[in-house]
Amino acid sequence: MKARILDRADVLKVADLLREQGYEVIAPFRGRGRDTFFETITEENRKRFDLHLPNPYYPPKRFVFPHMERLLTVQKKNGDLLIEPIYKETKRALFGVRSCDVAGIYHLDRFYLGRDFRDIYYEKRRRNLFIVNVVCTDPGEDINNECFCMCADTGPAARDHFDLQLMDLGDEIMAVAGTAAGEALFDHAMFKKGTHAHQEKRAAILNDVRRHFKTTTSWFSATVRYVSQGGVLEKTWEEIGNRCLECGGCTYVCPACTCFTVSDRQTGPDEIERVRIWDACALAGFTRMAGGHNPRRAVHDRRNRRFFRKLAHYFIQRELSMACVGCGRCAAVCHGDVGMPSVVEMVRRATTESDTHEAN
Amino acid sequence: MAHKLTTCTFCGVGCGLYLETSGNRVVGVSPSMSHPANEGRICVRGWHVHEIIDAPDRLKRPLLRKNGRLQEVTWDEAFGFIVTRLKEIRDQHGSDSIAFLNSPRCSNEESYLLQKLARAVIKTNNVDHGAGVYSNYSLNVLLRMLGVPATTNSIRELGQSDVIIVDGVDLGRQLPTIGGAVIRARLKGAKLIVVDTRRHRVAENADIFLQHRPGTDTLLYGTMAKVIIDHGLMDLPFIKTHCQSYDAFLANVSSYDLLATAEICGVPAEQIEAAALAYGQAKSAAILYSTGIEAGDAESIEAMVNLCLLCGQLGREGAGIFSLTEHNNLQGVCDMGMLPDRLPGYGSVSSDAARGKIESLWNTGLPAERGMTAKWTLSHRGNGLVRAVWLCRYDPVSTAFIGEAAQSLQQCDLVVMQHLFLTPTAEYAHVVLPTTVFGEERVTFTSTERRIQLAEQVIEPPEGIEPAWLQLTRVAQAMGADWKYDSSAEVMNEISSVVPIYSGANYDNLARDYGRQWPCTREHPMGTQFLFAPGHPPQTFTFVPIEKSPQPVITNEEYPLTLVFGHSLYYWHQNVLIRHSETLKREYRMLLLDYPDGFVEISTDDAKRFNIRDGEKIRLRTTRGTSTTAARVTREVLSGTVYVPYFVSQVMQQLQGVPEKGVQLLPVRVEREAA
Repeated sequence: MKARILDRADVLKVADLLREQGYEVIAPFRGRGRDTFFETITEENRKRFDLHLPNPYYPPKRFVFPHMERLLTVQKKNGDLLIEPIYKETKRALFGVRSCDVAGIYHLDRFYLGRDFRDIYYEKRRRNLFIVNVVCTDPGEDINNECFCMCADTGPAARDHFDLQLMDLGDEIMAVAGTAAGEALFDHAMFKKGTHAHQEKRAAILNDVRRHFKTTTSWFSATVRYVSQGGVLEKTWEEIGNRCLECGGCTYVCPACTCFTVSDRQTGPDEIERVRIWDACALAGFTRMAGGHNPRRAVHDRRNRRFFRKLAHYFIQRELSMACVGCGRCAAVCHGDVGMPSVVEMVRRATTESDTHEAN
Repeated sequence: MAHKLTTCTFCGVGCGLYLETSGNRVVGVSPSMSHPANEGRICVRGWHVHEIIDAPDRLKRPLLRKNGRLQEVTWDEAFGFIVTRLKEIRDQHGSDSIAFLNSPRCSNEESYLLQKLARAVIKTNNVDHGAGVYSNYSLNVLLRMLGVPATTNSIRELGQSDVIIVDGVDLGRQLPTIGGAVIRARLKGAKLIVVDTRRHRVAENADIFLQHRPGTDTLLYGTMAKVIIDHGLMDLPFIKTHCQSYDAFLANVSSYDLLATAEICGVPAEQIEAAALAYGQAKSAAILYSTGIEAGDAESIEAMVNLCLLCGQLGREGAGIFSLTEHNNLQGVCDMGMLPDRLPGYGSVSSDAARGKIESLWNTGLPAERGMTAKWTLSHRGNGLVRAVWLCRYDPVSTAFIGEAAQSLQQCDLVVMQHLFLTPTAEYAHVVLPTTVFGEERVTFTSTERRIQLAEQVIEPPEGIEPAWLQLTRVAQAMGADWKYDSSAEVMNEISSVVPIYSGANYDNLARDYGRQWPCTREHPMGTQFLFAPGHPPQTFTFVPIEKSPQPVITNEEYPLTLVFGHSLYYWHQNVLIRHSETLKREYRMLLLDYPDGFVEISTDDAKRFNIRDGEKIRLRTTRGTSTTAARVTREVLSGTVYVPYFVSQVMQQLQGVPEKGVQLLPVRVEREAA
């Protein structure tokens, strides 16, 4: 991948460049307290722009997979049914997606586009999305107690699946092009060739940043094995289920969760619209079948299923990507503290149960 | 694409969340990480509130019943009809022939103006909120014993409690954010004691689970008090300084016997003792109970507050009484005076002083006689006295505990309904005024931790639709009142001049912070995180000696189980809002799909004992009647009990007649219908 250097002061010029190319440029901005949001960059808010700030809680997957999306309308007219799809093809540039979230969108790409059925709604949004990854380098702002991209191997600097990557080197920023579209920006004069010193600085900063991440999820890969091999005790899933309040939050905030439901709503006497809405396997009704059978009625069965989908080899091989990116949002959103980090810890602790020692 | 911080309007937690809009549509929702009550977490209802706001079957035009059918009319015609009929009925049958009922989910502004319309314009005290049967126990007990009718502390303080008692409420279902706070407190080392007949999610996490027989909790708490006294763990300095009637309480408590109680309650004596000692030795202990239909009778609440006073667990972080409101504004509607015997701010309607103060603020005389409760209005039509009922966002046909709402409304000469959708109640309405949904108006709600918060406007309502508070203003003006409110903020300004605990609140300061917890006054302009902090004006609290608790249900060989009726556990299943989200509809109504003809719940043990399978038809028999329904077998229910969800009222009627109280216990026999 090609890399260039630009002055820190010029960072918003990159956003302007994208806007000139017809993109609506969206970046994270501070709200109240720790709350941060993706907002369109405007004349008014650009002076509030921060390269480093807490990662927006509402995950950026919603720009390709909205929380609620109108899919089509059906109208009854003169005995005919007129079906009109509703596509969203606005060009958007997300100016400031964390490496974990980049991996999340890649996982969604694999799920929605990577197999036999290509989701056309997802495709149209994704094709028009330009991703600018910002590397987490500020331990005070970018990284929090819940982050574990190191364990999921998705950060702090994404290695791929972005159009452009910006890394703060201090007075300067290193820009890395991940795609042809990203590289095309380098024609602009603000991008200068870098030197070996810049490469070394990047390596040093990343080395230092890696030290700021949680270490307890170093058991992460072992958990992947345990889950894949069905080695987690039923008792452990029950303990996890006892703390779960079935809110669905872990699924909704997860950058790599894909589930949805579809609803037809009457919008007029002869008209309906179909909407797609985020759904969660955490919820009891998710697997209820017509006739009443529910293979995952018990909450601990649903927790079991979730972590299997997140971690098992089968899915990693199928999607060529793991369904957990280490962003830590599930830990923040969970009422009973059974997000990924805690579950990894509980699985680890439970393995001592299977230790058998003979005293004599 | 925009987002705005607002307050969730489902349950009493009042979580902070952001509504995401695109154009004039609400397209998403996400939790606020910095909000002090929920700190980044919301429940499944909150996660789907955007679907409800966006529901296309909203009522768009006012409806008037003509020739037996509801037909669209103009706003002028609707208001004209209402005013004419109200005047006619008042002139012909008197002011007290009209009743005003609202939902405990109504905003402060519309609740305040509804009772003002009733009292200042129509001149009746027939005002109440839909949950009036149950929560008013708590309100009255707390006013009597503590002097303040609300939760004494804040939700996030549960992280500081070292002992937490959760009584009779399934937090995981009703107030999940608080359920989470309790679970996490326990993970941090707090001792969790759950007192309940049902083994719910939070109970699975309890250190001590006192799964007692129905109706025996008062006995349990009294006995715990005795254990605490026997071990000398009471806080005598606190009692001496602040409490009255201790001696009477002491005399009463001394008659409890731990072993006898254990026998009656069906709970091991060591567990009761352990719970008592834990509470008695705690540095900061919290007692949580619900004011929903789950609420026990007044005695059990008195017993809990007695315990709290006995150990001086008040006036510091993590120590206190959490009287949890299951509906988002149950606290607020009571603060606003939607009560037949209390004015805004809780002064009694029969007190000349309390009434006089508001009479001078409103510049009009007010009625002094206690009004009718919601229950009385909707089950007996005030013994035939009520001719007209105004329902603000209230759907009693679906949600009223009382089984006769439909019948009563049918007999009324005028039923005015303000709502969002055509609810089952609309069938009995003469006029329907569609109004604004969450997100279409800027109004306030007061959460269970006394937090007065703004719910913001993020989209424009459909054309012609106005907030309920504005519709009430128009009606009052048309009836000759000189009301003038150009905005909901102005209504709040008046509220703050009438209700002392709200006197320091206004939309500016509420918007600047995460609302303000009352008392929010000149002395406490930033609000009050917890009540009764030392150094503040000395408080006097009152013990209440409890007469011997009623004997629990006597079961015998012929009627071996106890029937328990009336649990708000499944309230949200009937709520009209839930039906407007595909996901919530599925989650909540799944039970109704699985058991389409209704159900009662029995334990897995009893199912084995009586050879009953899940879903099977069973026959229930009491000394007074029989009923046939489906059985739902669940390990949540205590062996020896049969649970009847409150909305399965026909079962109760068949077995006993119209239920009189919040908790009704009967000895019952259960058989397979096929047998």
